[in-house]
Amino acid sequence: MRPPKEIRLGPSRPYDVIVCGAGHAGVEAALAAARMGVEVLLLSGNIDTIAQMSCNPAIGGQAKGHIVREIDALGGEMGLTADTTGIQYRLLNSSKGPAVQAPRVQCDKKAYQFRMKHLCELQPGLTIFQAVVTGLIFEAGAVVGVQTNLDLSFYGRSVVVTTGTFLRGLMHIGSNKTEGGRLGDFSSKSLSSSFLDAGIELQRLKTGTPPRILGSSIDFSKCAEQPGDPSPTLFGFYDTRQQGDLFHVEQSGERLPGWTPGSDQVSCWMTEASGVTGKIVHDNLHRSPLYGGEIKGVGPRYCPSIEDKFVKFSAKESHKLFLEPEGRNTDEWYINGLSTSLPFDVQLEMLHSIPGLEKAVMLRPAYAVEYDFAPPTQLYPTLESKKVERLFFAGQINGTSGYEEAAAQGLVAGVNAACRVNGLTPMVIGRDEAYIGVLIDDLVSKGTQEPYRMFTSRAEYRLLFNHGSAELRLKSKIADYGLVPPERLARIEAKSAQVAHWSEYLEKIAISGGLAGDVLRRSVETIPADMPASFLAETPEVQAEVLYRVRYRGYLERELRSARKFRDLESFRVPAGFDFLKAYGLRSEARQKLEAIQPQTLGQASRISGVNPADISLLMVLFRAAKTA
Amino acid sequence: MSTTETIVAAATPTGRSALAVLRLDGPLAASIAVAALNRTTPLVARQSMTAHWHALNGAAIDQVVAVYFAGPRSFTGSDSLELTCHGNPLLIRRLLADCLARGCRAAEPGEFTRRAFLAGKLDLTQAEAVADLIHASSERALASAQRQLAGELGDHVAAWSDRLLLTLAVLEAHIDFPEEDLPPEDPTGPLACLAKIESELSGYARTARHDATLREGLRVAVVGAPNAGKSSLLNALTGSARALVSPEPGTTRDYLEAPIAGLPLALTAVDTAGLRSGGNALENAGMVRTLEQARAAHFLLLVLDRATPPPTLPPELLALLDPRRTLVILNKSDLPAHPAQANFLPALATLPCCLLDGRDAEALRTRLGEILVERELAPGAEDLVVSIRHADALLRTAEALKIAQAHLSPPAQTELASARCREALECLGEIVGRIDNERMLDKLFASFCIGK
Repeated sequence: MRPPKEIRLGPSRPYDVIVCGAGHAGVEAALAAARMGVEVLLLSGNIDTIAQMSCNPAIGGQAKGHIVREIDALGGEMGLTADTTGIQYRLLNSSKGPAVQAPRVQCDKKAYQFRMKHLCELQPGLTIFQAVVTGLIFEAGAVVGVQTNLDLSFYGRSVVVTTGTFLRGLMHIGSNKTEGGRLGDFSSKSLSSSFLDAGIELQRLKTGTPPRILGSSIDFSKCAEQPGDPSPTLFGFYDTRQQGDLFHVEQSGERLPGWTPGSDQVSCWMTEASGVTGKIVHDNLHRSPLYGGEIKGVGPRYCPSIEDKFVKFSAKESHKLFLEPEGRNTDEWYINGLSTSLPFDVQLEMLHSIPGLEKAVMLRPAYAVEYDFAPPTQLYPTLESKKVERLFFAGQINGTSGYEEAAAQGLVAGVNAACRVNGLTPMVIGRDEAYIGVLIDDLVSKGTQEPYRMFTSRAEYRLLFNHGSAELRLKSKIADYGLVPPERLARIEAKSAQVAHWSEYLEKIAISGGLAGDVLRRSVETIPADMPASFLAETPEVQAEVLYRVRYRGYLERELRSARKFRDLESFRVPAGFDFLKAYGLRSEARQKLEAIQPQTLGQASRISGVNPADISLLMVLFRAAKTA
Repeated sequence: MSTTETIVAAATPTGRSALAVLRLDGPLAASIAVAALNRTTPLVARQSMTAHWHALNGAAIDQVVAVYFAGPRSFTGSDSLELTCHGNPLLIRRLLADCLARGCRAAEPGEFTRRAFLAGKLDLTQAEAVADLIHASSERALASAQRQLAGELGDHVAAWSDRLLLTLAVLEAHIDFPEEDLPPEDPTGPLACLAKIESELSGYARTARHDATLREGLRVAVVGAPNAGKSSLLNALTGSARALVSPEPGTTRDYLEAPIAGLPLALTAVDTAGLRSGGNALENAGMVRTLEQARAAHFLLLVLDRATPPPTLPPELLALLDPRRTLVILNKSDLPAHPAQANFLPALATLPCCLLDGRDAEALRTRLGEILVERELAPGAEDLVVSIRHADALLRTAEALKIAQAHLSPPAQTELASARCREALECLGEIVGRIDNERMLDKLFASFCIGK
């Protein structure tokens, strides 16, 4: 039996893992660590905002949807919560090949939060407490606990920090400046000094969010409707998960299936900002803190403010806007595409210049927010700090953007914080295994200059990363770290065996028209009627994966071959205690870069900018010699 | 680390010689030997076989002596094959190209030794010596690659990668941002771009200036101040009156080149316009070309008139006078030396001679041959390898682009086309250095207004 949930104070009664922050990263970190059997404390400055979607009310999309399915494979909760609280479901890129199709779900923002909070309440070994972390407690180069605004200190064997945009958060609406990480919330100021004291470097980034408006004030007759897919694509792997995993907060305690995901969908609507709006932007550019130089942090290129759109792409006559409902029990709507830091009066004027929004009533203004992040090259691939032992970072503090990117890092940091306590080998997911691997390797090996978002083009082996194969790709990680219940693992193993069997067997058996594999590759749209009945009796998930592997066999094998080459370098580990500064014969540029990043494998070393193939060749020899010495 | 790839390289130096040795190392060594030598019986390790090497298309390339070493009883510990063929650079090139076509990869500098070291075949205390060898051969390969890239090839590859990145950005935009306000997806544009790049690239690979080194040998540029005797030197070296010789300074306004025959390696002498500060426009244009030639050359001969004070040479030229690849020819040794010449460019090796009537011509040719043989033939065959590697990379780029076009033709499969474009970029990256995905994203975000 696990010890009961309780508040423990003082150094004599430490938790195993303390998670600071309960956003998308913090929640997955806390749940993953607790599920690995350690005792976890989850601290949040305001437990009413656990897992709040601070920006758009949607989960998934290109590359992000892939990540959510990977999180689901690893036992995370983002997928299930999005599925059960979804109000509109779409499969993006459905006209393209399976590798680049991705699910996206518009969620009921509040329902999403409530379910996540309730999951944390239900989770054995996980204690939630409301307090703002104001500083870290260090001892001999390691973190041992945290201080809070309530003058209470909590002690932990490892600490996961997920501060989001709250670290010295500063919001801008025109010349109006408010301290805080999100409108209506606080700013975490003293924690930054704690990091600086420990020798952790901090820099500034910027992001923004559009205004929210009252749905009843929208003239939908001037907008174009965008309905959901009639048959929704979900994130959760329900073929291997238990039915009880699908529940809704209204059935607290009982864990009965909630409403059928995908039923009773609502629509989003499209309108556009055209020349009139553009003129308002141009006329008021001098009042934009972004253009006036007030905002110093770097914003994301893929999520520009409306100012940037009209200024940098002045040839484009109009910019598409999406009106997205924030829930079933609210009439608050999100205007996707209208992010801005212009003053309130300009925001209103812009809003009223947009077709359908002439009489829109604003509920919350748009704003930009600047915040501290810790350049992630200061981390190991386990997400543990190189400067402070047992201190883990996840989410926006690592320079990323997006709920999905945050949740993925949270899960990995939570697992590794638990591994650190239990003395287990940490979990490092490869670039050849999952988008999560690409994400973390990019962060720790290359760092980032802008809020980092995942794109499918960042993955070298994109064709291997179709969203349906996440469980199969991550099978060994799921098993090694006990991330899912044994019954689910057994179903994953069985599914993997079936997929392997059929994708080989179909190449050997004849149906009308030739070998089944050849027939399938010729007719990519349809499944031949005389396929073996036992194949057609397999689950839709197994069938889809087999068809993908058979139809794309040549392309997938090609990527598998290059992935094997990648693995070769990746399995070449840097010997413990290897001193790059003293490495014989390295060029000084390579020497300094390697010393700064401290790569764990030769593969990681090869991805550091400024390290060339000859350096890698040299390192191979030096590592070998160091190992034998 | 497992040795999964089979590598190939010439083990003997570039240039004409009686015999040359090629080494293949890795799991394909035996099967390639069986296929290319038309063997009907299995290979016997450590036994020499004399047979014709047949290219993939069946044509015999050369008669070779092959010895197979079965791993782990080989230099590197893996299966390997040593081929002795005739020492003609063209034959070696065809053999290497055939090995690449059969699935080998061109060896990296020092890779055979590295493999031997990693397999425990060398004393582990030799790590620093192995590191030195890798370092030195990488430096030579890098220098060789830079020489080849200084010319046309480098410019072309840069332009092709740039256009390819732009095309890829269009494809990727439609994959990663399906909901954005992009222009409608139409494969016609990208298709045309890919076809154009492919045709330019294949055309270039066929007419191949990139393997000029192989056909023409090493390039030796003759540089110096006007009227120092550069053209006379060229005539002395080539045994012809090819360069226009006149007492009027600045006679050679462009460059002339001619082969130097009868030496142990193929050489091409390049005469250049005189370099001095000032001069008229025509001369200045000639000087720009002279500097280009000097940069692209493997070796420089700086001609000085020993009897006059040292010339004021442009700083761009002085920067190119590396002691390892420069010989100073002190012309007019029949006249008394000007005292200031004694301390001019002390780091460079000198050779006094008189170019007036060809009396020193033979001694000069012999000495130059000796220096270059010692310099170029000692450690390896980087030029040949680099050249083959570049040619192979271009061929693979063209192949990848061809497949990408097929994927873009209706019904278009953008993600498959994109995979091949990325492969093409990787191949071009083998020539000009890794092309990061960030560069594609830069183009994407500069071309399209992304962001809901």
